[in-house]
Amino acid sequence: MSTDDGTSAGRPVHYVEVDEDLCNGCVLCMKACPMKAIRLRDHVARIEGVCIDCMECARVCPRGAIRGVSSVDVSLGDRSEDAVCPSTVLYSQFGEDFLPNDVLLGLRSMGFRYPFDQAYTAEIYEFAMELFIREQRKSENPPFPLISAVCPAVVQIIAYRFPSLLRHIPPLATPREIVTREAKQRLSAKHGRSPEEIQVLHVVPCPAMMIREADQTNRDRAVGINAVYDELKKSIQEIEEDRVLHYSGGIGLGWGISGGESAGIQAKSIAVSGIHETIRYLERVEMGLLSHIEFLECRICTEGCVGGSFNVADRYQTKQLVQRYVRMFGEERRVKQKYLMKLYREGWFQTERQVLPIRTENIDMTIAERIEQQKRVESILRELPKKHCGMCGSPDCRTFAEDVVAGKARLDNCTQLEHLGGKGVIT
Amino acid sequence: MPLLERRFTIKANDFVKAGEVSIEVQGILKKIGFDPTLVRRVSICAYEAEMNVVMHGGDGEMMLHVEPEEIDLVCSDQGGGIEDIELALLPGYSTARPEHQEMGFGAGMGLPNIKKNASSLDVYSRKGEGTRLIMKFEVGDEH
Repeated sequence: MSTDDGTSAGRPVHYVEVDEDLCNGCVLCMKACPMKAIRLRDHVARIEGVCIDCMECARVCPRGAIRGVSSVDVSLGDRSEDAVCPSTVLYSQFGEDFLPNDVLLGLRSMGFRYPFDQAYTAEIYEFAMELFIREQRKSENPPFPLISAVCPAVVQIIAYRFPSLLRHIPPLATPREIVTREAKQRLSAKHGRSPEEIQVLHVVPCPAMMIREADQTNRDRAVGINAVYDELKKSIQEIEEDRVLHYSGGIGLGWGISGGESAGIQAKSIAVSGIHETIRYLERVEMGLLSHIEFLECRICTEGCVGGSFNVADRYQTKQLVQRYVRMFGEERRVKQKYLMKLYREGWFQTERQVLPIRTENIDMTIAERIEQQKRVESILRELPKKHCGMCGSPDCRTFAEDVVAGKARLDNCTQLEHLGGKGVIT
Repeated sequence: MPLLERRFTIKANDFVKAGEVSIEVQGILKKIGFDPTLVRRVSICAYEAEMNVVMHGGDGEMMLHVEPEEIDLVCSDQGGGIEDIELALLPGYSTARPEHQEMGFGAGMGLPNIKKNASSLDVYSRKGEGTRLIMKFEVGDEH
């Protein structure tokens, strides 16, 4: 789950694609994009800026022309030797007749012999986070609120729009990083191979959770829940095996819904969901307004990961089911606290993930040149009609002015600017 | 010397729009690519100053001046003014109305917070004649 450095090699990878045949060049996705990453070129939407895979574009597209890329070839590699680590959201996709253990058994009968329960590592993570927060309370200038790194889209927003908040991201491994590490260690011992040789397949609820590493050194793969759903559903219905693969309590199972993460951490916390609310809260953190909060859980999807676009089941029905699981399995902690405390002291929870600011400004220019550039943006903006119609191909007048200054658009693309020589047509 | 200037108006008692000026200031500075910590300090000050105008100031305005070596914010209003500036600079001293405090504002940390985050702060005010804050931020000034 590391974040790409956008400084040199261009843009981070993303898993959203536009079907050019279905797209009719309307402005809805471009206007919905919170990162202003979409432009219209020749009546087709193109993702040109920093895309964080939040899927707001796909949610508003009336023609279904924008989709998340959910599949990798799962037949690749040997299913039987490698680990599969499903998101906890997968447990709640098959209705109330099937419990988490059934879902893990179903994966086994699909041929994945080693499914790992991420809900359990979620509980481990929560315990470590609590220890970390306790430590921070004693420090002089604690980076409160700590901001959860669990939603990769949130991490990307911070790296791009709120780089001063990077210090609020705790340096601890997320449940997904922990389960990956665990799976590799255990299977490498079992098969007598090195941990690097063990491949992990993640089954994820959204494009943001796909593998983000730009380099190919990491052999792990990810697949959307929708890509395995049919085969898994069939195999769950035909389970014959009887063994325990699911260990977590209700706290770990509650992770799919907004508030699920912070519910397991004893601290002053708040949980925010939805991209606009997330951005609003990050703005407030940056203004120093939330320093009395210790832990901030943000999820880009409304209601949390149950709202991820790779899910098959309805988010509100899923939420209901997750809440039922929490009650059914109880809220007490099942992890071995003494042992985890020892691991924590040994630094076992430290993450290797490094999040760097994503910078898109021209780094070859001096500050003085960039101020000059910004001045030109302001002076063009003063002339624009501020109707934000999007007909020029940019999402709003300010972004259009920026595009003009950056040489990515021409002033006469503005259809409203007749007195300035605009031709009233899209060129 | 390239100098970018922007003027923003602030409306008294408009708690719905409150904060938007500082967010816009923040956006401009981020676009230029100043150091994130510096941008954060400027926006904290912009926010505190903006909220003061919204709460006590009557209508007002914020001027932003940007130069490569220095960023200045000048916030002026036609409000009731400050009776005792030294007192107003003390942490915890507040003249906010109870309804503002109920909304979570008016903890008496506004001016102290600006003083903490700006390279320099000058307050010009007289009872009944409005207030003018001049906040300067030197680029590269470690805070």
